[in-house]
Amino acid sequence: MFLSELTAKDALKITKQKMTAYQTELLERLNAIEVDAHWFRRAFHTFAASFLFYYLLPDEEWITTAKIVLPVLIVVCMILVEYQRLRGGVDHQRFFGLRSYEKKRPASYLYFGVAVLLLFLFFPQQIAIPCILCASFSDPIIGESRYYLGKKYAVILGFVVSFFFFLITWYRAEWWVLIFIPFVGATGAVLGEARELSCIDDDFMIQMLPAVLILIAWQGLLLLQVDILPPPLIYPLSL
Amino acid sequence: MSHKNNNIKENIQRLLLRLELWFAPLLIIIPLVVSLFFVQDWYTRGFSTGSSEFDGELLIGMIILIGNILVDIPFLRSIRMLRKKE
Repeated sequence: MFLSELTAKDALKITKQKMTAYQTELLERLNAIEVDAHWFRRAFHTFAASFLFYYLLPDEEWITTAKIVLPVLIVVCMILVEYQRLRGGVDHQRFFGLRSYEKKRPASYLYFGVAVLLLFLFFPQQIAIPCILCASFSDPIIGESRYYLGKKYAVILGFVVSFFFFLITWYRAEWWVLIFIPFVGATGAVLGEARELSCIDDDFMIQMLPAVLILIAWQGLLLLQVDILPPPLIYPLSL
Repeated sequence: MSHKNNNIKENIQRLLLRLELWFAPLLIIIPLVVSLFFVQDWYTRGFSTGSSEFDGELLIGMIILIGNILVDIPFLRSIRMLRKKE
């Protein structure tokens, strides 16, 4: 009886030791995983396309309120974090994938977030969707192809891809609008990406420049009694 | 024993600080789920009822799906390559 109790205790002790060793090894292995910052940034861009889920959210009263409050809160949190980082309150090293020039100015994810917030709150989805798609996909495509093809061909490729996004989103518009709007949008997106401004990040410009240009075109033509805006692309779910 | 516990605690703290490891699975899984949701919604509200109004959701779903897969492959490959180098 005594012997069996001892064996059980020993077994428990051995198991505990083995579990601790396993835990230590697992944690060390996880810590040893290296993530490539370059592709991490690219994946972050394409991930942003999933924000379009916003337009599927139902139009119930409380959800409509949440649709405004939640994105504002998220961006406010991002501003606070960036403020702390720039003041030195949060260590710069904790932010993975930041570029060297972002050490002393707000990081691009904040610009990206502010632009998406403005698009969600102040622009119709027909304008916001292609602009978010441009920031999510055209920006990485231009960045990657610049490396392989050179700046000129990268801009051309970026223009074609952006044109495609505007074309797809406005596919139910009239034929002349289908040429005019993708041209304006793609030009704005490429200019927003290619123009290097010291104070504003390209992640902001690639979204806002085409959005503002199309908004002006839409409102201008509305004054002439011509409504070019097609029906929405995404319809909210019903509860 | 206390040394081992300290080691584990230290490792956990280091892991908690590594934001990129927390984000990496989300960066891959969320876009795939969202894109498949768009496609599923197009199927239930559009295709199965014979309505073309929801075709836009299929297009958006496919763009998100294809775009993300094209970036996820080199992203995962880069992680594997870095692990191999070690």
